[in-house]
Amino acid sequence: MRGLGLFVFSLVAALLLRSTALSALAARGIVIDVLAFVVIVWSLRHGAAWGATFGFVIGLIADLDATHWLGRHALILCVIGYVVGFLARTLVRESGRTQFMLLALATAAHQAWVVPFELGGMGGLASGWPYFLERVLVAALATAPVGTLALTVARRLFGRPLFGNALRQPG
Amino acid sequence: MAGALPPAERRGGVILAVYVALSLLLLVVGDHLPQTALRGIGAALFAPLDRVVLGIDRLAGAWRENQQLHLRVTTLELENVRLRSLEAENRALREQLQLPGYRGLALQPAEVLALTGEPYPASATISAGTRQGVHLGDAVVTSDGLVGRIGEVYGGFARVVLLTDPNASVACEVESTAVLGMLRFTPAPRPRLVLTLVPFADTVRVGQSVLTSDLSRRYPRWIPVGRVVRLGVAEGGLTQEIELEPAARLTRMRYVFIVPGPPAAPGAP
Repeated sequence: MRGLGLFVFSLVAALLLRSTALSALAARGIVIDVLAFVVIVWSLRHGAAWGATFGFVIGLIADLDATHWLGRHALILCVIGYVVGFLARTLVRESGRTQFMLLALATAAHQAWVVPFELGGMGGLASGWPYFLERVLVAALATAPVGTLALTVARRLFGRPLFGNALRQPG
Repeated sequence: MAGALPPAERRGGVILAVYVALSLLLLVVGDHLPQTALRGIGAALFAPLDRVVLGIDRLAGAWRENQQLHLRVTTLELENVRLRSLEAENRALREQLQLPGYRGLALQPAEVLALTGEPYPASATISAGTRQGVHLGDAVVTSDGLVGRIGEVYGGFARVVLLTDPNASVACEVESTAVLGMLRFTPAPRPRLVLTLVPFADTVRVGQSVLTSDLSRRYPRWIPVGRVVRLGVAEGGLTQEIELEPAARLTRMRYVFIVPGPPAAPGAP
């Protein structure tokens, strides 16, 4: 029951942040990808299956909110959730460098998938590739440090590791 | 291959496959599904939470904004006195020329609860709906200019299709020149508002204001839309492509006003 409450709270908090505080920042060209951030946090904490589920649900809600192209956020976020959750078994999840890299890569993947839809498909991408590159790079470079900082602050506040160490080593 | 994986990984793989298949299916058929009802439920659930978050955010700026608004009210009241005398003169002149009179706009205020879309918001949820007399297609403005039109209406709230929605278009005219054009949001090669279908014979200058024109069925005439910031040539080279800076600050809206539009034609979207 507590897990479900946390699941819903994370969904609502991320979507509220996205539609209020972060929307003004996004309009200035600085996209803090809060969807990718919460999916990574959830996957690092709960593993691949829950990561994929969380990614799919939050992506679907974001898709419904966006009016067009239902399924575009859901698809990439469930894949990110699964991959990060899968990798979490072999990574040092409390490491700031690991979190930074995961956030940067996941944000880049998320933006690289959704921006072509906004540009109107491959035709729009052919003429809008400078904007595409700028958006992907800026989002990755903005989300990774802010996300890593947020996780560091959370760890200090709670006074204990958020994710624990690797569950087991491969092989 | 699957047998080599532990049960937890196998289960995760199956779950992922189901989600990917569902997402792909939605991408293909999603636009044919009735999403309006689902969005209505979502907006109803999120509206109270949005109010709390925005309330905290707005409390901080309320004091400073109050001072600015007092100054603006005073300035506008003084200007209004002058405009009323000009309006009386204008009315008399129009009567002599047998031209129809101009009617003022009735405004219905509403609070902006949420903005949707990255990097530029394409829609907004506002705190007025059918109970407040809002109708589909009504124009939405701020004190600065046009914001968009009502795209979906529910009981106590509505969704506004902003000018930055790629599917929105507005018939416009350049102030004091009668140059006509069609305003659209273009996502590629970079997101911007452009006035299209303007012939090369029409002279437009950077800095001029663009207003809604009387060719628009949705919007009342003379609502500020934006200001010309760049002149260019449209793809194909037959017309001008004029880039605009929106008059209304679409990313920093707190309150908007709904302008009742003409009754929609039967079967019109």
